[in-house]
Formats: sequence, structure tokens, C-alpha cells
Amino acid sequence: MSDRFERLGWKNKTFDTLNALFLLALMLTMLIPFINVLALSFSSGVASMQPDIVLWPKAFSAEGYSIVWKSLDIWRPLMNSVIVTVIGTALHVMLSSLAGYVFIYPRLPGRKIMLTFVLITMMVPQEAIMIPLYVVNKDLHLINTLTALVLSGLVSGFSILLMRSFFLNVPYEMAESAKIDGAGEFRIFLTMYMRLAAAGLATVVLFEFVGRWNMFTAPVMFINDTMKYTLQVALKAMIIDTNSNSGTYMITTNVRMAGIIISIIPLMAVYPFVQKYFMKGILLGASKE
Amino acid sequence: MKVLKRYGALYVMMAPVIAYFLVFAYYPLVKGLQTSFQNYRLMGDRPYVGFTNYSDVLHDSTFWDAMVNTLVIGGGILLFSFAAPLVIALSLNEVLRTWYKKIAQMILYVPHLLSWVVVGGIWIFLLSPDSGLVNMVLVHVFHRTPFNFLADASWARWIMILLATWKEMGYTCILFLAGIVSINPSLYEAARMDGATRWQQLIRVTLPQLGNTMKVVFLLNTLGILRIFDEVFVLRNPTIATKVDVLMMYTFQKGILDIKLGPASAASFFVLLLTLALTLVVRRVTRFDEV
Repeated sequence: MSDRFERLGWKNKTFDTLNALFLLALMLTMLIPFINVLALSFSSGVASMQPDIVLWPKAFSAEGYSIVWKSLDIWRPLMNSVIVTVIGTALHVMLSSLAGYVFIYPRLPGRKIMLTFVLITMMVPQEAIMIPLYVVNKDLHLINTLTALVLSGLVSGFSILLMRSFFLNVPYEMAESAKIDGAGEFRIFLTMYMRLAAAGLATVVLFEFVGRWNMFTAPVMFINDTMKYTLQVALKAMIIDTNSNSGTYMITTNVRMAGIIISIIPLMAVYPFVQKYFMKGILLGASKE
Repeated sequence: MKVLKRYGALYVMMAPVIAYFLVFAYYPLVKGLQTSFQNYRLMGDRPYVGFTNYSDVLHDSTFWDAMVNTLVIGGGILLFSFAAPLVIALSLNEVLRTWYKKIAQMILYVPHLLSWVVVGGIWIFLLSPDSGLVNMVLVHVFHRTPFNFLADASWARWIMILLATWKEMGYTCILFLAGIVSINPSLYEAARMDGATRWQQLIRVTLPQLGNTMKVVFLLNTLGILRIFDEVFVLRNPTIATKVDVLMMYTFQKGILDIKLGPASAASFFVLLLTLALTLVVRRVTRFDEV
């Protein structure tokens, strides 16, 4: 890389500086809103409502957090989100890797039909079958249950193909020789493939975790009982719908911002891992489209 | 029999996935098609009504408003979410200090991780006229009067387009960066030997070599156009609704809020057909399959 720019004249230096400033400006459009939200969430209710540029807590207080937690009971939607995310992600990963594993056998009779069957589902966007999906869930008496949310997007062609491409990196001879030793398909899958494709597993887990935590369309459609609200839906009700009319409870800005911060903590917690695995996954995924 | 013995376990492993797709992907598709030809009521009989639902939708001016909004907002997002990440990726590629590049990439990616509720909530607040940061800067630094961005019909579509670009640019940028990294270094060497400047290397080597990545990104973005929902659902308000309500919003309102499942299903099928048509056109135009 360094010899690429060996002739660093003033023109090059000016360009490098401007380029760095351009990126800095972009980063600031992300950092400043975030700092603003964080600072307001730790301000007192009164201070957070005053018109001012806030980049540091004004009249430091954690009352926003205690109100959002105790008075607004945000722990309930939070628990619902945790349940849906954990169970949904676990099942999604399990089913997708099972199917992904099946597709690594090149001579499996019916493989092509099954693959087409999966690929077709990828061409139909979930949104396009939203209305009939609602009807199906209604017929199965799943409206207003968390089960409907777990079932929504429980398997995806994308994850299946992703797992398949990770499994393909595991040497095929290993499975063959294990089979000669009398190991069953399930045992080979669990003890060899799942272990050797751990990086792939982590990728799908992270994709799914983030996706389910942020899931919005499904709960908006299938849930209207406030006790079953997930965090995203509860947040929307709290920070957006109450903007003009605050209803019975006066929701100050610091409370809204505390809600936002609470909801992004889990995402920030997994972000370092996302950095590590997402890139690979995105690239594998994109090349499969 | 022999096949079953050798591969039986594999079919068992595949069974739950097939069952799931049958119930939650294929059946709804068929059911939706059927519903679109029915006077679908929650109780009582559901007579078939031919193409009535489809013609109802086609004669509904709200549907056409939604269509226009989808094409304008979707087209805008398509354009900006393609150009912005490309520029950023090229810019990042010129950064010589690795730490700066890493930090920039890390920060630019964050909005993609957040839900539209969070992103929308943050920006509704930032843009709000009474205490939002953007207006506070306008007032305190530029001495202007506060402006209610989200209640102004002429700004509404632009806000949708720009926020979607802002949210997704860090993500798409990674695809472009990966494309840049995989360009054969000897091409740059040859260019430098011929005395090419950085600018010439960018125009003559990097951009042409990114062709395939561009096709992938463009196709992925095209598929997203007709799926815009969360963003509008979160950011809309009665003042700007007619300017931003997209096709998915129309289906949602028809089907879930008004419980007119027949017309809503018909509208869904228009969306589905449009998606398939768009995909085919883009594939053809970009010669995607020749990649």
C-alpha cells in the first residue's frame, strides 16, 4: 500500500486531508445524534424538555431510566422481546443448519427439487404475503401470541444457503470415513459439522439475533394486546405515538431517550462479534443472490 | 428401499423445514391468490367475485397515490443508496491510516444495526421544531426560525429517502469495499508504471473492476423498493401521509385496519408481480446472469 502513494505532493496531501474530513463529517452525523440521545437520557425531566443543544447531561439524573422501567413497565415488552429473540434464534439456527447440511450431499435423490423448493421461497418477499399470513395465523389461533412471532421467519432460504456454504468448507471425506465407522447422520451432523462450522453458526446466530430483536412488521400485524407487545412496538407507542398528546402520563424527553438507550444495549453488546462475523456472512450471502 | 436406508436420516432432517415452508410460505401464497378472488368475510360464506377486487384496487385513487409514492421514494432510495455507499467506499479506500479507516467503518455501520423504530424515534426528535437538535442548531447558530421538517409535505419524501440512505450506507459500503479489496493488485501496479495518478487509477481501474459488485448491490436494492414499510410506518403522520404512504402501507391499511382482506390480497399480488417484473428487468438490463 505505501509504495502506491510514494510521490506525495501537496495535491495528494490536500486530497488526503479533505478526504479524512469528509469521512469525519459523515461519522459526526451518526455520533452527534447518539451523544445527544445519551446526554438527554441522563438529564432531569425538566432540563430535557428545554430547547437547547445538549451534548452533555443537563442536571444529571437517572430518573428517565427509573420511570421507563418502573412506571411504564418497559420490562414486560423487554421480556417478551427476549423470549421471542432467544427461542426464535435457537430454532431458526437449528432448522436452517439441518437443511443446510442436507444440501451438501451431491448425490441425494430429490436434492434438486428440494433446493428449488427453498429457492422459490426466497423470491417471494414476506411482505407480499403479509395479508394471507395474517389469515393463516388467525386460523391457527396464533394472533396475540408470542408463538406467532417465534414462527415468523423461523427458517429462511438465506440462512440455509449460508449454513450450506459453511458446511461445504468442512472436508467431505471426514463424513465419509465417519460413516464407514458406523456413525449415523445425526451424530456426524452434531459432533462434526456443527463443531467445525462454528464460525458459520455464529454468523447466522448474530444475523438472526439482530433481526429478531428489531423485528417490527410481524408484531405490528399479529399483536394488539399491550401485554404481548415486544420492545419495538412498545417503544413506538412510547416515543413516537405520544409525541403530540401525552395521554394520562407525561412522558418527558429523558424518558423517551432512556427507552431508546435500553433497547439498543443488547445490539451494542453483540456489535464486536458482529464486526468479526458479519462481514464474512454478508459477503457469502451477497454472492449467493 | 436402498435409497431410504442410505439417505433416510437426511430426509427426516429436511422434513421440518419443508413442513414450515408449506404452511408459512406456499399455503399463504395460494390462500392469498384465492382470497383475492373472493368477497372474504371473517364470518359467513365467501363467494367468489372474479376480478372485482382487482378492479376495485385499480380504481382506488389511494392505491395509485401509494404507487407513485413507492416509485418516487423507492427510486430515490435506489439511487442514493447506491451512489452514497460507493462514494464512501472509494473514499475509505483512499485512507492511508488503517486505524482511521477501521473506526470510520465501525461507526458508519451502526445505524444499520438499529431498528426503524429507534432510528425514526431519534430523527423525529432531532427534527422536532420545539427542542430537536437540528432546529436548535438552526436557531442558536444560524439564527433562523425553527422549521417543522416532518410536517411539511414538500420535505417528506426527501426525508424518507435521505434517512434510508443514512441508515443503510455503512452496510452497502462493506459490499463495495469487499469488491475493491478483491481487485487484482497487479492492475494498479501496471497503471502506476504507466504514470497513472490516483484519480486516474480510481476512474480507470477501480470503477470498471467494481462492475459485478455494482450489479449485485443494484439488484439487492431494487428488491427492497417494494418492501418499504417500517420506515414509513414509523415516520409518517397525518400531515404528510398522502406524500409518503407506500404500497405496503396501503395493503396494511386495507387488510389489517379496514379488514378488507379481498382487495388487500389483490393489492399484495400487484406488489408481488411488480417485484418479479422489476427483478427480471434489472437482471436483463444489467446482464446479471452473465456475472
